[in-house]
Parts: sequence; C-alpha cells; structure tokens
Amino acid sequence: MAVLLVGLLTLIAGCAPAGAEGQAFPGFFAPPAASAEGQAIDSLYFYVFLIAVAVFLTVEGLLLWIVFRYRRRPRVDGLPPQTHGHNLLEIVWTAIPAAIVTMLFVATIDTLAFVEELDPKPQGVIIDVVGFQWQWTFNYPEEGLSFTGAGAEGPVMAVPVGERVRIRLEATDVIHSFYVPMFRYKLDVVPGRVNEFDIVVEEPGTYTGQCAEFCGLLHAEMYFTVEAMSRADYDAWVTEQQQQPEPTPGGSPPPDAATVEVTSVGVVEGYEPSELSVPADTPWLVDLTNSDQFAPHDFAIRGGNPDGSDWQGDPNADPGQQVIYEPPPLAAGQYEFYCSLHPNMVGTLRVGE
Amino acid sequence: MATTTLAPRARPYTSTRARAYEWLTTTDHKKIGVMYMASAFLFFLIGGVYALLIRAELAVPGIQFLEFETYNQLFTLHGTVMIFLFVMPMWTGLANYIVPLQVGAADMAFPRINALSYWMIPVAGLMLFSGYAFGGAANAGWTGYAPLSVRENIGIDLWVGSLVLLGTSSILGAINFIATIFKMRAPGLTLMRMPLFVWNTLVTSVLLLFAVPVLTAGFVMLFIDRNYGGGFFDPALGGNPILWQHIFWFFGHPEVYILILPAFGVVSEILPVFSRKPLFGYKAFVFATASIGALGFSVWAHHMFATGAVYLPFFSFFTFLIAVPTGIKFFNWLATMWGGQLRLSTPMLFAIGFIALFLIGGLDGAFLAVVPFDFHVHDTYWVVSHIHYVLVAGAVFGIFAALYYWWPKITGRMLDERLGKVQWVLLFVGTNVAFFPQHILGLDGMIRRIIDYAPNPGWTELNFLSTIGAFMVGISMLPFMWNVFITQRKPATAGDDPWDANTLEWATTSPPPTYNFEALPPVRSERPLFDLKYGAVEPHAAAVPAARGESHEETRADAPEEFLGEPVEGHEDPDVPGARTTPQVSEHAPDATPREERPKREGGDPAPPTEGRS
Amino acid sequence: MSAGSEVVQLPHAEESHVAQPHGDQGMNTALLGMMLFIGSEVMFFAGLFAAYFNARAAADQWPPAGLEDVVHLNPIVIIATVILIISSFTMQWGVWRIRKGDRTGLNRAVGVTLLLGIVFLAMQAYDYFLLVSEESFGINSGIYGTLFYTLTGFHGAHVFGGVIGLLVVFGRGIAGQFSARHHIAVEAVSAYWHFVDVVWIALFIVLYILH
Repeated sequence: MAVLLVGLLTLIAGCAPAGAEGQAFPGFFAPPAASAEGQAIDSLYFYVFLIAVAVFLTVEGLLLWIVFRYRRRPRVDGLPPQTHGHNLLEIVWTAIPAAIVTMLFVATIDTLAFVEELDPKPQGVIIDVVGFQWQWTFNYPEEGLSFTGAGAEGPVMAVPVGERVRIRLEATDVIHSFYVPMFRYKLDVVPGRVNEFDIVVEEPGTYTGQCAEFCGLLHAEMYFTVEAMSRADYDAWVTEQQQQPEPTPGGSPPPDAATVEVTSVGVVEGYEPSELSVPADTPWLVDLTNSDQFAPHDFAIRGGNPDGSDWQGDPNADPGQQVIYEPPPLAAGQYEFYCSLHPNMVGTLRVGE
Repeated sequence: MATTTLAPRARPYTSTRARAYEWLTTTDHKKIGVMYMASAFLFFLIGGVYALLIRAELAVPGIQFLEFETYNQLFTLHGTVMIFLFVMPMWTGLANYIVPLQVGAADMAFPRINALSYWMIPVAGLMLFSGYAFGGAANAGWTGYAPLSVRENIGIDLWVGSLVLLGTSSILGAINFIATIFKMRAPGLTLMRMPLFVWNTLVTSVLLLFAVPVLTAGFVMLFIDRNYGGGFFDPALGGNPILWQHIFWFFGHPEVYILILPAFGVVSEILPVFSRKPLFGYKAFVFATASIGALGFSVWAHHMFATGAVYLPFFSFFTFLIAVPTGIKFFNWLATMWGGQLRLSTPMLFAIGFIALFLIGGLDGAFLAVVPFDFHVHDTYWVVSHIHYVLVAGAVFGIFAALYYWWPKITGRMLDERLGKVQWVLLFVGTNVAFFPQHILGLDGMIRRIIDYAPNPGWTELNFLSTIGAFMVGISMLPFMWNVFITQRKPATAGDDPWDANTLEWATTSPPPTYNFEALPPVRSERPLFDLKYGAVEPHAAAVPAARGESHEETRADAPEEFLGEPVEGHEDPDVPGARTTPQVSEHAPDATPREERPKREGGDPAPPTEGRS
Repeated sequence: MSAGSEVVQLPHAEESHVAQPHGDQGMNTALLGMMLFIGSEVMFFAGLFAAYFNARAAADQWPPAGLEDVVHLNPIVIIATVILIISSFTMQWGVWRIRKGDRTGLNRAVGVTLLLGIVFLAMQAYDYFLLVSEESFGINSGIYGTLFYTLTGFHGAHVFGGVIGLLVVFGRGIAGQFSARHHIAVEAVSAYWHFVDVVWIALFIVLYILH
C-alpha cells in the first residue's frame, strides 16, 4: 500500500507536465543547479536517492510480501516454528547497512571538500552580506557599493558568472540564514561571527534567495535576489551603480517648518512617542533618531501622499543615526505612521488639532 | 488459569466526590498512568487544532486569516505541545501503567514522586498557554534559538518556566523508571528476559536523565540573559549565540530517541504476539536499542551543519552510524513476522504501518546526514517532512498501536476493530498525503516557519495536497474518540489475555487489582506467559500470593516512605515472625522487617515462604 | 492451563534457572534514586561548565580586559572552601556513627555539618556583597560576570538545598528515628552533600586557580 501510494505521488510529482511560465512542476529532481557547488551536490543527491529508493523498495516489498504470505489463514492450528534468531543473518544485516553508510560517508566527505573549499586569498568579487530583521544589506567593499531593500525581491546582488565569488556573512541582531535554492546552499548569518563561503555561479540568470533561519516577526518576507551576469555585464552594472548619486539625507527644509521629534527604539518596542501632532496643511519635518542598536528604521505615512498612496521617507536611519524627513503637508485628520522596514512598528499621527 | 484468579475488586469509593478525591490523591501507578495518558491526549487535540490552523493558512499562497505574530506563536506552541505535552507524557503514562506490570511489581519504586511528576504536567501546560493572557505566547519556535528568544516577548519566560517544570517531571520520572526496572523485577526476570518495552523505557529513561538537565542549564542561561542582563548568548557581551544550539541539540537529539524508542518497544511487543512467534534476535534488539541511545549523544551538531561552526565530518559519520542499529531493528522485525501466523488486528496494523512509514522518516534522516545535501534542505520543508515522518508515522503510530493493544488490559474492554481499522486507513493515507509532498517542496526550496510562500509552479498544488492530508489526520481522530466512547458503555468482557500474549501484564486481571498480581507465573524466558500457556513451564506448585511472595517482599522493603520522611525508621516491630503471618495486601504497607531477620532462602530455592504452600 | 493444548519444546526456557529476587542485592532503592538524581545534577553543572569553557575558549583574553583581578583568591573564599571541605568530613563521620548505632554521635555530626553549611552560605553572600559594592561586578558585567554568578549562584542554591536536607535529617535524628539499620535518609543526604562539595572544588579550581 505504501509503495503504491508513494509511487503514485512520485509520478504526480515528477512526471507531471510543465506548469505555468514554462517552468516544470517540481519533483524529486529539480532543474539543474546554477552553481558549480550546487551541481556537485545534485550529483551526490542523485546517488543517495538511488540507494534510498533501493532500500525503500526492498524493505517495503519484503514487508508487503510477508504480510500477504504469512497472514493467518482459517483452520490453521498449532504454533508456527518458534525461531529465536540467527547469528549469521544478524551479522549480514549489520554488515550491509554498515557498508552502505561507509560508502555514503566517503562520498559525502569528497563532495563536502569541494563545496566548502575556500580560496585562501580571494581574488574575485567580494560581497559582505549583513542580515538584520528582516532585510539584507549587500556591501561591495572594493566597488564602494551598498544595497538594502525590502519586498518580494529584496535587494539585488549582482555576481559575475564563471568566477569564484567570496561571500561573507554577518548579522547584527539575531541569526539568519543566507539561502539560494538554485545554488543548493545555505549558510547561517550569525551575530558576532563572520561566516564565509566561495561560490562559482555557472548559469546567468535571476535567482531568488530567502532567509532560512526563523528570525522573528517578518521572517517569511526576508527575500533577496541574485543576478548572475557575464563579466562584461557585471562591469557595466558596477559602473552604472557607482554613477548614481548618493541620496542626501534631509534635503533643505524651510527654516520655519514645524519639526516633530520621534525616536525609533526597536523592532518590538516601536516608536517613542507613538503619538505625534502636527499642524494641518503646512510644511513640516520629522526628526527621526534611531536608538535601536541593531536595525535601521524609517518613517512612512499611510495615505500620506496627495494621491492617497503611502508616503515613504528616504533614506533609512541606520542604528544610532539621525535623519530628517520632509513629508508633504497633510490635510487635517488622523493618520497612521509606520516603519516601512518593519510594518509592525506603528504610531498615530494627528494633523491639525 | 491457576495463576490468574480474580481478586474481589474492592470499591471503597462510592460518591463522585470521594472518587475524585481518590484520583487526585492517588499514588497508584495505573491511575497515574491513565491520568498521564488522558492529559496527553487532551494536549494532542490542542496541538492538532494548531496544526490544522497552520495547514489551513498554508493551503494557498498569500496570507489568509492569520497574522504574522499569531502564526509564529502557533507553530511554536504546536511543536512544544506535541513534543513535551503530548508524546512525552503519553509514553510516560503508558510506561507508568505497563512497566510495573511487565516486571511483575506492585507499583513504581517511588509512588509519591510518581504522583508529583504527573501533577507537574497540567501546571506546566497552564503556564505555557498563560502566555496568551500576558501579552503573547512564546513565538521563537520550539527550538527557541538565541538571540531571537532573548529578545522576544514575555511568553518566552513562561515557555522557559513550563519546560523547566516538564524537564524536572521527566527527570523524576526517569529516576523512578530506572529504580523500578533495576530493583523491582519479579524473581527469574533477568535483564535479558525483560520485555522490549521495558528495555526501551530503560534506555529512554537513561537518555532523559542525562539529556534533560543540560537543557535545564540552557534554560537557566536563557532566563538570565532575558531578565538579568546576562551575556551567555550576546556577542556584544562576549557570549556566543551558537552555544544555545549546542546545548539545545545536546538535549534535542537524544530527545528524538526519547520520543521514538518507546514506539520501537511497542512494535517489538506487538509483532511477536500477533505473529505467534518469539521476537527474532532479542539480544540484537537490546544491543541496537542501547547503541542508538549511546549514539544519540554524539550526533547533536548534525542539526547545526549550516551554522558554519561545527566540525562536519565527525557529526556526519556518527549520524550515518545510527542507520546501522536502526537497520538491524527493521530486519529483525521483518524476520519476526517471517514464517508466522499474522493476525491483522488493529494493534498489528498500526505496528505494520509504523514499520512501513518510519522507514521513510529514517531514509530522510540518512539523506540529511549527507552534509552537502543538508546545506540545501536544512530548514526547508524537507526537514518538516522528515520530523513528521518520524513523529507522526513513528511516535503517533506507535502510540495508537500501544493504545489498541493495551486498551483491554487498562479498561477490561476491547476497542471496536472495525472503527480501529477505519482510523488506521485514514491516518495512514492522511500521513502520506500530508507529509510526502513536503519532500518535494523542500527540494524546491520552500523554507519552513513561514506564513506565506511565493506562488511558484506546483507549490500551491503540493501545499493544498498537504493541507488535505493534515485534515485527514485530524479526522482520523474522530473514529478513535467515538470508539472509546462506545466501548466504555459496553460491559468489561475482554478477559485477562485477549490477544494470547506473552508478557506478565496479561497474567493478571483486566484491569489489574490495585496491587497488580494475585500470583506470578515462573519466569524462565522473555515470554513467561507463553511458556506457561504452552506448557514450557509448570505454574508454581501453589499460587504464590504476590503480597507475600518473594517479589513483593522487596517491593515493600524498599518502600519509599522511608526516604520521603515517613517515620518508619527507628520503629521496628520486634515481633517479626508474628507480623509476617498476617500479610497485608496493600502496596503501601511499609515493611519494617530488617532484611537480616527475614527467613533465609535455602540454596536459592525459589519457593515461597512455607505458609504460601498448601 | 487454559489456552494451548499442545506442549512445545522451548530450548531457551532454562528450567534449571534459580530465581533470584533483585531487591536484596546491591544498593538500596532509595539510595539508588538519590544516586541517579545526583547523576542528573552532574549533567546540569556539566552544561554550565560547558558554557564557561565555550566562552573562555572564544575570548581573546581571560578574564576579560578590566576584570583581571576582580575574582581572585581572597581569605573569604579560601576559608569558605576549607569550611565546605571540612563539612564533608563531618557529614561522613555522622554516617559512620549511625552505622554503628550511635545516635548522639550522628546528631552532633549533622549539627556541626549544618552549621558549617550555613556559614558557607553566609560567607558566599558576603563575598557577593563585596564584589557588587566594591568592584561593581554584577551578573550583567559581561559574560565573565554572568558566568561567575551563574556558576557560583547555582552551586549556592544546591548548598541551600543540602542545608534543608540536613535540617530534616537533624530533626529526625533528634527525634530518634535513625538506627544502625535504618538510616537511608542520612546516607542519601550525605551523598548529596559530598556531591555539592565536589562541585565546589571543581568551581574553585576553575574560577580561582586556573584563571
């Protein structure tokens, strides 16, 4: 019964026609990995899978056969032969699994050495990844680039294909995990510890990554994207990014504008104070001090734009930083303000009372 | 049968109030065992509803009806409740009921500590759920990884308190089981004749005894970090977040065996009875169980391959090694059935279901020992699938096998076979439909502990399938509960030994009297009752009155009252021979007779004292 | 004989085996229970010690900068250690007395042990007081402070538990409840007290000598 059911599921899962957008319905064999390390893991997985299926079919087959063959039939009297054991058999079925797992262990160590290989002197691109609740920052120290972002794509990490890229991971608050399924690899991002790995991406493309270690409220939305491109495209991308102007915090506020001061204390604690009052229909400023020692925050107003969409302050205030935002004048009424990085941090904004 | 004469069942408590008082104050291992199982089943239902809420939320992509925070609390409590408040107390309860019977004792070694262990369970359960009243239940996952658990809400303090309490309960229970098994076995019941369920309880108890205190130390550290500015897990203060994982998994991996070894024991009890053959390779089972227990302490860091902070080959190697004793068990189980006369009653079906499905969980585990592959599927739904194939297909199938098997012993009534088979089919199919698709989701990179997932090709269908399966598992509990309900309304006609079983618990009445045995058959193998029924041994010349027989002499001599401060010491009764001629048939009667003054046995003659002969 | 008319030869059923009850051999059940409990306590302290060595191995400097001389061998600690070690001997002396049936000797020995235990706790409290008030060294003074107070504090809590046990034994001894044959409570509390002493010696070596 188990065999039938599992076999059926395997069929459903593995051989179903291609799903939407030309991508295959997932099965036991995912599309080929995009990195050299991932391909090594895939081929190891293939052999382990074969062994597992063989063991599975042997044991389940035996079980089914035994249940069928030795089920109690009517009008059978007396006891079956009372066998207590067989030393040779015990030795055999100790030795066979031992041999199989020894084989698997050797294959594991072999692949592991390849996957874990670290270049003692990294020569290619180096990317410093900082994980924090619930976003990523990708720093390119040599190129002087830095990206932070949220949403279903998250920040974009560009890497050249066919080259060894060094990725260094560190967290500022809790443990996260850097995981790109198409690379078949994840490594934890731990506060107070730098974890690093080398990767050679073989196939150009866009790969989704996600935090894999449960890290609190919005763990489910901690995405990022890896763009793998040819060396030439990568160089062009770097130049283009370097030419973008640095956002200047604050701008030049009118000197007489009303200023409200607010402090973002922490992801759990929220804003202090959580209620703000400003006059209606006049320019005003928000002076945000981020006293959170781990996470960056910003200031956004639900329905704060004239067209009714949310107004979002830019840039983020990093831990310990102070940023002045200039939101548009607001009509009288009550608004909700929040942190666009941590939508659970909310407060009330009273306008014109 | 001569050795199982019915004792007149005393019913000293008549009013409801008196019976409630009797249950609330009991130190009888059977009543305590039943209370353990009843509370565990209640928590199973709560944890099950949580699971269904989680699966309903995940049925399709997008956020349906839960919020992030609610969801995080749900899966934290689902894991905690199922492991610490369902499976562990359920096994403790079953062992509480069965182990003293199987070793031919009148009670556990320390009956009052036994009651204390039980009453910690409801208190801990209330404490865990009281988080909802204080601003949010625990929300850092059942593994409570620091530093996240250091920073989250008050519910974590209550979670810590609850688990320390449950841990203490488990430690006391483990001490009780070890002392019972080592000190209170019937004459002739040597270690290598103990039923496998007793062996597995023994190994489980040893695991608990050495693993749980380490977790308690970890909880102490977590509590200090949370409330007194400690720096155990805070790198800014010189601490190390990975330390929590080492401590947690040093407990956590033996914990997996704590949850599953009793199921191995149950299956090893049921297969021989329903195959009408002895267990194939009894010694191999004992050694395999012991080595699984020992290896359990050397593999904790295989839960931490992706931290970048452990020496991978070592832990990979020992993890692979565990496959060897597990394999031995599987083949011996098959060999036990081979050539037998298999009666496919409900307990047997659950035992066979266990073998069929636990195999998948075990093979998943072997995959996870392949470190590079673990990098890929760690923290994905592959691991969710693995743990549920181990704990639902393993522990839950084992638990229901045990319940159907021992139900007639506990209540004197046979559960309905037809409803039992309906439940088996629903549970078997439901488990596979719920958890098998999760392998593929994991391989495709769906991570766990998320309220929402991307609508990637196939993910919606597979998740929906998994949700259907989860609801099938949920529905499979209805026939069981209905079965229990209608069975309790029937007369108690099951008889002492309805399954034609092998071990001592079936040599007494169903349910057994307070003091368990009127008389014990001689024990010359691991199947004393079989030997007796099929003529391999003669019953004792006269029924050995258990209360006066050799076995129960020790029960009373080792009465724990002494240790607990009951003033028995210094109050010896000088008139010893007189005291012995009026035997007291009570499991609590303290025997103040000094050992030296008891009648000496001559030349190891197993015969009872002279007044026992007739 | 109810079931099974047929007699089967079962080679494994050793007819000649001599039935042996187990209760009369080896350790008393209650004492076995205490030994198992001590085993679990050893694992508890092993967990705390593991945290200590983990932090110490990861640190660049141990004790951390600025705290080099906070925890050092001082007369209070040395005297407290000597007191605890002596109390183990007085406890054992009490066990030996009662094994010979000497109730007065037991009561004297337990009384002295109890007193020494209380003095140890008082000295530990005084040591904490000095550390906090004069050195401003608290449980929140980084991992070093956390470890110091957790390890010594939980040891102190166990000494306190032992003192409670000694109180019970003392009271029962005064009431004359122990005899040469029946004094399991004395043996059990004594075993626990020795365990507490051994943990302190380990702590003393790790925290004061090897630092």
